[in-house]
Amino acid sequence: MFQGFPEIKEALMSNKMQAAFMVAPMAIALRAQGVPVKIVYLGHRYGSAVVVRSDGPVHRVSDLRGRIIAIPSRFSDERLIVFRALQANGMDAKKDLRMVEMAPPDVAGALAANAIDAFSMGEPYPSQAEIAGFGRVLFHAREYWPDYISCVLVVRQDVIDKRPEAVQTLVDGIARSGLWLDEKERAKRHRLHAADFVGRFYYHQDPKLLRWALTNPIDRVKYEPLSPRRADFETIVTLMVQTGVLDHAIPFEDFVDTRFAEGAHAMTAWKYEAGDDRAR
Amino acid sequence: MRKLTLAITAWIVAITSAHFALNVNWQVLMNDRLPEANRKLNVAYIPVT
Repeated sequence: MFQGFPEIKEALMSNKMQAAFMVAPMAIALRAQGVPVKIVYLGHRYGSAVVVRSDGPVHRVSDLRGRIIAIPSRFSDERLIVFRALQANGMDAKKDLRMVEMAPPDVAGALAANAIDAFSMGEPYPSQAEIAGFGRVLFHAREYWPDYISCVLVVRQDVIDKRPEAVQTLVDGIARSGLWLDEKERAKRHRLHAADFVGRFYYHQDPKLLRWALTNPIDRVKYEPLSPRRADFETIVTLMVQTGVLDHAIPFEDFVDTRFAEGAHAMTAWKYEAGDDRAR
Repeated sequence: MRKLTLAITAWIVAITSAHFALNVNWQVLMNDRLPEANRKLNVAYIPVT
Protein backbone atom coordinates (compact mmCIF):
# COMPACT_ATOMS: atom_id res chain seq x y z
CA MET A 1 0.00 0.00 0.00
CA PHE A 2 1.28 3.47 -0.91
CA GLN A 3 0.23 6.90 0.35
CA GLY A 4 0.49 8.90 -2.86
CA PHE A 5 0.42 8.53 -6.64
CA PRO A 6 3.98 9.86 -7.30
CA GLU A 7 5.42 7.00 -5.23
CA ILE A 8 3.32 4.48 -7.17
CA LYS A 9 4.61 5.93 -10.43
CA GLU A 10 8.24 5.50 -9.29
CA ALA A 11 7.62 1.93 -8.07
CA LEU A 12 6.07 1.01 -11.39
CA MET A 13 8.85 2.56 -13.45
CA SER A 14 11.56 0.83 -11.37
CA ASN A 15 9.76 -2.57 -11.65
CA LYS A 16 9.30 -2.84 -7.88
CA MET A 17 5.63 -3.03 -8.83
CA GLN A 18 4.46 -4.71 -12.02
CA ALA A 19 0.94 -3.25 -11.95
CA ALA A 20 -0.75 -0.36 -10.20
CA PHE A 21 -4.00 1.42 -9.63
CA MET A 22 -3.44 5.06 -10.49
CA VAL A 23 -5.39 8.06 -11.68
CA ALA A 24 -6.08 7.87 -15.41
CA PRO A 25 -4.38 11.13 -16.46
CA MET A 26 -1.15 10.06 -14.73
CA ALA A 27 -1.18 6.79 -16.69
CA ILE A 28 -1.78 8.70 -19.94
CA ALA A 29 0.99 11.18 -19.13
CA LEU A 30 3.41 8.34 -18.38
CA ARG A 31 2.65 6.74 -21.73
CA ALA A 32 2.99 10.11 -23.50
CA GLN A 33 6.46 10.40 -21.94
CA GLY A 34 7.39 7.03 -23.42
CA VAL A 35 7.11 4.91 -20.26
CA PRO A 36 6.22 1.35 -21.38
CA VAL A 37 2.92 0.83 -19.53
CA LYS A 38 -0.68 0.32 -20.62
CA ILE A 39 -4.09 0.81 -19.07
CA VAL A 40 -5.87 -2.56 -19.11
CA TYR A 41 -8.96 -2.03 -16.94
CA LEU A 42 -10.76 0.44 -14.68
CA GLY A 43 -10.78 0.37 -10.89
CA HIS A 44 -14.29 1.83 -10.53
CA ARG A 45 -16.59 4.56 -11.80
CA TYR A 46 -17.65 7.67 -9.86
CA GLY A 47 -16.50 7.87 -6.22
CA SER A 48 -14.95 11.36 -6.36
CA ALA A 49 -16.41 14.52 -4.89
CA VAL A 50 -15.59 18.13 -4.10
CA VAL A 51 -15.94 18.72 -0.37
CA VAL A 52 -16.11 22.04 1.48
CA ARG A 53 -16.38 22.99 5.16
CA SER A 54 -19.85 22.29 6.45
CA ASP A 55 -19.89 25.60 8.37
CA GLY A 56 -18.06 27.52 5.63
CA PRO A 57 -19.20 30.11 3.11
CA VAL A 58 -19.10 27.85 0.01
CA HIS A 59 -22.60 26.72 -0.93
CA ARG A 60 -22.39 26.68 -4.72
CA VAL A 61 -19.63 26.24 -7.27
CA SER A 62 -19.39 30.00 -7.90
CA ASP A 63 -18.52 30.46 -4.19
CA LEU A 64 -15.22 28.69 -4.88
CA ARG A 65 -13.87 31.86 -6.51
CA GLY A 66 -10.61 32.88 -4.83
CA ARG A 67 -10.47 29.75 -2.63
CA ILE A 68 -7.80 27.08 -2.14
CA ILE A 69 -8.72 23.57 -3.24
CA ALA A 70 -6.60 20.43 -2.74
CA ILE A 71 -6.26 17.81 -5.47
CA PRO A 72 -4.34 14.49 -5.38
CA SER A 73 -2.13 15.35 -8.38
CA ARG A 74 -2.04 17.70 -11.36
CA PHE A 75 -2.39 14.47 -13.34
CA SER A 76 -5.72 13.45 -11.84
CA ASP A 77 -9.37 13.29 -12.84
CA GLU A 78 -10.12 15.08 -9.57
CA ARG A 79 -8.34 18.11 -11.03
CA LEU A 80 -10.15 17.79 -14.34
CA ILE A 81 -13.56 17.61 -12.68
CA VAL A 82 -12.85 20.94 -10.99
CA PHE A 83 -12.07 22.49 -14.39
CA ARG A 84 -15.23 20.98 -15.82
CA ALA A 85 -17.48 22.12 -12.97
CA LEU A 86 -16.09 25.65 -12.97
CA GLN A 87 -16.40 25.90 -16.75
CA ALA A 88 -20.06 24.83 -16.49
CA ASN A 89 -20.54 27.72 -14.07
CA GLY A 90 -18.84 30.31 -16.25
CA MET A 91 -15.53 30.26 -14.39
CA ASP A 92 -11.93 29.37 -15.20
CA ALA A 93 -10.16 27.09 -12.71
CA LYS A 94 -6.75 28.51 -13.70
CA LYS A 95 -7.72 32.07 -12.81
CA ASP A 96 -10.53 31.76 -10.31
CA LEU A 97 -9.05 29.50 -7.64
CA ARG A 98 -5.77 28.09 -6.38
CA MET A 99 -5.14 24.34 -6.61
CA VAL A 100 -2.63 22.64 -4.33
CA GLU A 101 -1.45 19.05 -4.64
CA MET A 102 -1.83 16.98 -1.48
CA ALA A 103 -1.56 13.29 -0.60
CA PRO A 104 -5.12 11.91 -0.34
CA PRO A 105 -4.85 10.83 3.33
CA ASP A 106 -3.97 14.44 4.31
CA VAL A 107 -6.90 16.34 2.80
CA ALA A 108 -9.58 15.75 5.42
CA GLY A 109 -7.24 16.93 8.19
CA ALA A 110 -6.24 19.97 6.13
CA LEU A 111 -9.91 20.91 5.64
CA ALA A 112 -10.65 20.42 9.33
CA ALA A 113 -7.70 22.68 10.21
CA ASN A 114 -8.84 25.37 7.74
CA ALA A 115 -5.60 25.01 5.76
CA ILE A 116 -7.69 24.60 2.61
CA ASP A 117 -11.20 25.68 1.66
CA ALA A 118 -12.13 22.56 -0.31
CA PHE A 119 -10.76 19.32 -1.69
CA SER A 120 -11.48 17.26 -4.77
CA MET A 121 -10.75 13.66 -3.92
CA GLY A 122 -11.80 10.06 -4.28
CA GLU A 123 -13.54 8.08 -1.56
CA PRO A 124 -13.29 7.45 1.33
CA TYR A 125 -11.99 10.97 2.06
CA PRO A 126 -15.24 12.79 1.22
CA SER A 127 -17.00 10.29 3.50
CA GLN A 128 -14.40 10.87 6.22
CA ALA A 129 -15.12 14.62 6.23
CA GLU A 130 -18.88 14.01 6.18
CA ILE A 131 -18.85 11.49 9.04
CA ALA A 132 -16.65 13.73 11.18
CA GLY A 133 -19.10 16.57 10.58
CA PHE A 134 -16.70 19.24 9.32
CA GLY A 135 -17.15 18.49 5.62
CA ARG A 136 -20.05 18.75 3.19
CA VAL A 137 -20.14 17.44 -0.36
CA LEU A 138 -20.49 20.40 -2.71
CA PHE A 139 -20.96 18.11 -5.68
CA HIS A 140 -20.24 14.55 -6.73
CA ALA A 141 -18.26 14.01 -9.93
CA ARG A 142 -21.27 12.40 -11.64
CA GLU A 143 -23.11 15.75 -11.58
CA TYR A 144 -20.67 17.23 -14.09
CA TRP A 145 -19.21 14.12 -15.71
CA PRO A 146 -21.48 11.17 -16.61
CA ASP A 147 -19.60 7.83 -16.46
CA TYR A 148 -16.70 9.56 -14.67
CA ILE A 149 -13.63 7.38 -14.13
CA SER A 150 -10.69 7.95 -11.84
CA CYS A 151 -8.40 5.03 -10.94
CA VAL A 152 -7.35 2.63 -13.66
CA LEU A 153 -5.29 -0.54 -13.65
CA VAL A 154 -1.92 0.03 -15.30
CA VAL A 155 0.46 -2.81 -16.19
CA ARG A 156 4.07 -2.71 -17.38
CA GLN A 157 4.41 -3.56 -21.07
CA ASP A 158 7.06 -6.25 -20.41
CA VAL A 159 4.58 -8.06 -18.13
CA ILE A 160 1.84 -7.78 -20.77
CA ASP A 161 4.20 -9.22 -23.38
CA LYS A 162 5.73 -12.01 -21.28
CA ARG A 163 2.88 -12.96 -18.93
CA PRO A 164 -0.46 -12.13 -20.57
CA GLU A 165 -2.15 -15.01 -18.72
CA ALA A 166 -1.19 -13.48 -15.35
CA VAL A 167 -2.60 -10.10 -16.43
CA GLN A 168 -5.80 -11.81 -17.61
CA THR A 169 -6.16 -13.57 -14.24
CA LEU A 170 -5.79 -10.23 -12.48
CA VAL A 171 -8.34 -8.50 -14.73
CA ASP A 172 -10.77 -11.44 -14.43
CA GLY A 173 -10.55 -11.22 -10.64
CA ILE A 174 -11.27 -7.48 -10.65
CA ALA A 175 -14.18 -7.98 -13.06
CA ARG A 176 -15.68 -10.68 -10.85
CA SER A 177 -15.20 -8.56 -7.72
CA GLY A 178 -16.91 -5.61 -9.41
CA LEU A 179 -19.88 -7.74 -10.42
CA TRP A 180 -20.05 -9.14 -6.88
CA LEU A 181 -20.11 -5.64 -5.37
CA ASP A 182 -22.84 -4.49 -7.76
CA GLU A 183 -24.90 -7.70 -7.63
CA LYS A 184 -28.48 -6.31 -7.57
CA GLU A 185 -30.32 -7.16 -4.34
CA ARG A 186 -27.14 -8.52 -2.71
CA ALA A 187 -25.10 -5.40 -3.44
CA LYS A 188 -25.59 -3.79 -0.03
CA ARG A 189 -24.77 -6.97 1.89
CA HIS A 190 -21.66 -7.56 -0.24
CA ARG A 191 -20.51 -3.98 0.12
CA LEU A 192 -20.89 -4.03 3.90
CA HIS A 193 -18.83 -7.20 4.05
CA ALA A 194 -16.21 -5.77 1.66
CA ALA A 195 -15.97 -2.64 3.82
CA ASP A 196 -15.13 -4.82 6.81
CA PHE A 197 -12.39 -6.92 5.27
CA VAL A 198 -10.89 -4.21 3.08
CA GLY A 199 -10.86 -1.78 6.01
CA ARG A 200 -9.17 -4.27 8.32
CA PHE A 201 -6.79 -6.12 6.01
CA TYR A 202 -5.98 -3.75 3.12
CA TYR A 203 -6.73 -0.08 3.77
CA HIS A 204 -6.16 -0.17 7.54
CA GLN A 205 -9.08 2.20 7.95
CA ASP A 206 -12.15 2.11 10.17
CA PRO A 207 -14.67 -0.20 8.41
CA LYS A 208 -17.39 2.29 9.41
CA LEU A 209 -15.81 4.80 7.03
CA LEU A 210 -15.81 2.36 4.11
CA ARG A 211 -19.35 1.24 4.92
CA TRP A 212 -20.44 4.87 4.51
CA ALA A 213 -18.47 5.32 1.28
CA LEU A 214 -19.80 2.12 -0.29
CA THR A 215 -23.47 2.38 0.68
CA ASN A 216 -24.40 6.02 1.15
CA PRO A 217 -25.94 5.91 -1.42
CA ILE A 218 -25.34 2.48 -2.93
CA ASP A 219 -24.16 3.92 -6.28
CA ARG A 220 -21.76 6.43 -4.73
CA VAL A 221 -19.00 4.25 -6.21
CA LYS A 222 -19.81 1.85 -9.06
CA TYR A 223 -17.83 -1.22 -10.07
CA GLU A 224 -19.25 -1.95 -13.48
CA PRO A 225 -18.86 -1.47 -16.37
CA LEU A 226 -15.07 -1.46 -15.93
CA SER A 227 -13.98 -1.97 -19.54
CA PRO A 228 -11.95 0.96 -20.82
CA ARG A 229 -14.06 2.80 -23.42
CA ARG A 230 -12.58 4.98 -26.12
CA ALA A 231 -14.98 7.91 -25.60
CA ASP A 232 -14.20 8.15 -21.87
CA PHE A 233 -10.48 8.35 -22.47
CA GLU A 234 -10.75 10.75 -25.39
CA THR A 235 -12.63 13.09 -23.05
CA ILE A 236 -9.79 12.83 -20.52
CA VAL A 237 -7.08 13.40 -23.14
CA THR A 238 -8.94 16.45 -24.50
CA LEU A 239 -9.29 17.91 -21.00
CA MET A 240 -5.62 17.21 -20.26
CA VAL A 241 -4.56 19.11 -23.39
CA GLN A 242 -6.99 21.97 -22.68
CA THR A 243 -5.77 22.34 -19.10
CA GLY A 244 -2.09 22.21 -20.01
CA VAL A 245 -0.86 18.90 -18.57
CA LEU A 246 -0.44 17.16 -21.95
CA ASP A 247 1.34 18.68 -24.97
CA HIS A 248 -0.70 16.92 -27.61
CA ALA A 249 -3.46 14.33 -27.89
CA ILE A 250 -2.29 10.71 -28.11
CA PRO A 251 -4.34 7.91 -29.68
CA PHE A 252 -6.37 5.57 -27.46
CA GLU A 253 -4.46 2.52 -28.75
CA ASP A 254 -1.17 4.00 -27.56
CA PHE A 255 -2.10 3.89 -23.90
CA VAL A 256 -4.90 1.28 -23.60
CA ASP A 257 -4.79 -2.46 -24.27
CA THR A 258 -8.39 -3.68 -24.45
CA ARG A 259 -7.72 -7.39 -24.98
CA PHE A 260 -7.87 -8.24 -21.26
CA ALA A 261 -11.17 -6.41 -20.75
CA GLU A 262 -12.51 -8.28 -23.79
CA GLY A 263 -11.25 -11.52 -22.26
CA ALA A 264 -13.12 -10.74 -19.03
CA HIS A 265 -16.46 -10.00 -20.75
CA ALA A 266 -17.96 -13.39 -19.91
CA MET A 267 -17.01 -13.25 -16.23
CA THR A 268 -19.67 -13.68 -13.58
CA ALA A 269 -19.77 -12.39 -9.99
CA TRP A 270 -17.81 -14.32 -7.38
CA LYS A 271 -19.93 -16.85 -5.56
CA TYR A 272 -19.08 -15.76 -2.06
CA GLU A 273 -21.00 -14.78 1.07
CA ALA A 274 -19.69 -13.74 4.49
CA GLY A 275 -18.53 -16.85 6.31
CA ASP A 276 -17.63 -18.87 3.20
CA ASP A 277 -14.11 -20.26 3.31
CA ARG A 278 -13.31 -19.13 -0.24
CA ALA A 279 -14.72 -17.38 -3.28
CA ARG A 280 -15.63 -19.50 -6.31
CA MET B 1 33.69 -9.03 30.95
CA ARG B 2 32.06 -12.34 29.95
CA LYS B 3 28.70 -11.17 31.33
CA LEU B 4 28.94 -7.94 29.38
CA THR B 5 29.75 -9.80 26.13
CA LEU B 6 26.80 -12.13 26.69
CA ALA B 7 24.47 -9.25 27.38
CA ILE B 8 25.57 -7.37 24.25
CA THR B 9 25.26 -10.51 22.13
CA ALA B 10 21.77 -11.23 23.53
CA TRP B 11 20.75 -7.64 22.84
CA ILE B 12 22.02 -7.78 19.24
CA VAL B 13 20.24 -11.11 18.65
CA ALA B 14 17.00 -9.77 20.12
CA ILE B 15 17.06 -6.55 18.09
CA THR B 16 18.02 -8.39 14.89
CA SER B 17 15.23 -10.94 15.39
CA ALA B 18 12.70 -8.20 16.08
CA HIS B 19 13.84 -6.36 12.94
CA PHE B 20 13.48 -9.47 10.77
CA ALA B 21 10.08 -10.24 12.26
CA LEU B 22 8.63 -6.72 12.09
CA ASN B 23 10.31 -4.94 9.19
CA VAL B 24 11.01 -7.59 6.57
CA ASN B 25 8.19 -8.69 4.30
CA TRP B 26 9.19 -12.32 3.81
CA GLN B 27 6.39 -13.02 1.35
CA VAL B 28 7.68 -10.30 -0.99
CA LEU B 29 11.29 -11.40 -0.50
CA MET B 30 10.51 -15.03 -1.34
CA ASN B 31 8.32 -14.01 -4.28
CA ASP B 32 11.18 -11.94 -5.75
CA ARG B 33 13.44 -15.02 -5.66
CA LEU B 34 11.06 -17.18 -7.71
CA PRO B 35 11.56 -17.61 -11.49
CA GLU B 36 9.80 -14.72 -13.27
CA ALA B 37 7.10 -16.95 -14.74
CA ASN B 38 6.06 -18.18 -11.28
CA ARG B 39 6.13 -14.84 -9.48
CA LYS B 40 2.98 -13.19 -8.17
CA LEU B 41 2.45 -9.73 -9.66
CA ASN B 42 2.99 -6.89 -7.22
CA VAL B 43 0.05 -4.51 -7.57
CA ALA B 44 0.38 -1.03 -6.07
CA TYR B 45 -2.55 0.89 -4.66
CA ILE B 46 -3.35 3.71 -2.29
CA PRO B 47 -6.24 3.67 0.18
CA VAL B 48 -8.56 5.62 -2.09
CA THR B 49 -11.12 4.63 -4.71
